[in-house]
Amino acid sequence: MELVTGYWPWWVGALALGGVTIGFTLLVGRPLGVSGSWSKVIGWREERRLAKDAAAIQPGSEATHDAFLAATLAEFGEMGLTDVDDAGETNGKAAPGATKAQTIPWTAHLIFLFCMFLGGFLATYFAGNFHLHFDLSALHTRFAGGQWQSWVALLFGGMMVGFGTQMAGGCTSGHGLSGCSRLAAASLIATMSFFGTAVAVSFFVEVLAR
Amino acid sequence: MKTGSFKFHVLYGLFGLLMGATLARIGFADYDQVHRMFIFADMRLLFTFGGAVLFAGAVFAVLRGHLPYHNKTLQPGTVPGSMLFGAGWAICGACPSIVFVQLGQGRLPALATLVGILFGVVLHKWAHARFFRWDTGTCGV
Repeated sequence: MELVTGYWPWWVGALALGGVTIGFTLLVGRPLGVSGSWSKVIGWREERRLAKDAAAIQPGSEATHDAFLAATLAEFGEMGLTDVDDAGETNGKAAPGATKAQTIPWTAHLIFLFCMFLGGFLATYFAGNFHLHFDLSALHTRFAGGQWQSWVALLFGGMMVGFGTQMAGGCTSGHGLSGCSRLAAASLIATMSFFGTAVAVSFFVEVLAR
Repeated sequence: MKTGSFKFHVLYGLFGLLMGATLARIGFADYDQVHRMFIFADMRLLFTFGGAVLFAGAVFAVLRGHLPYHNKTLQPGTVPGSMLFGAGWAICGACPSIVFVQLGQGRLPALATLVGILFGVVLHKWAHARFFRWDTGTCGV
């Protein structure tokens, strides 16, 4: 029963991982991307502020009208006022392009991340492999030079992962799975960059762990 | 489907479960397995990942024109950001999704990775607003 206890053979994994990517893209209607979820969850206050700002600049609202009027006066003086009155006819109608695309609330992203934790737990538990590990692996402890050093290495490695994926605008799922499968040039370049660097650093790790 | 609805949250959670379970059963959250992939000592994970891209790519090629918009464009941060990420991945064996799977598997040191990623994302938000200000094309917005 290798399928239940051991790791899946490559073709089972490929079908499952590819299937998740396809299913997510079609049913959720967004490209799959986990670093985007991180960004949205951590920037949850941004979302609230944006919603407030969007409500404040609703076309036709009193505040918008007053703000435009003040800006016009400041820029053109009384001369500009006739134009404001003419433009007043469009009040109440949404300006072209103002229809807001549906954004995904940060709560959905949070649930997505939490369920990834849950999925990892359930899959491992039902395979009978669940137990607490106090080190990542013997190899990692040897490479970092001790158990607490291993935790420090993880902290700094994690910072590089967090900063790097945000800067690159995607990670293994966004660039690697979604982007590459749609032949996006930026994603192919990003995937080559992170994979190449990871290969180089891994050979360095191999030397340190020896 | 309305993205704010309860049903949408359940759908998102369902894919989180599927993805977490898949990654766990593939062995993508196992540091030794990932390390052996990067030094080309074991090609299983590489074939898994490559196979997934080919499978999804074939389906997406057929459905071309009916797919959601994606905004992956080359920007100044693509290459340096990816290189930084690659180095971090090799050091902690985790990408932004794997860290949750590792925690689900009871790998406690992944807590340090989690805190690290959290710091990294916050640091980037600050640095981006202060210095970069380009469109990173991050997904899921």
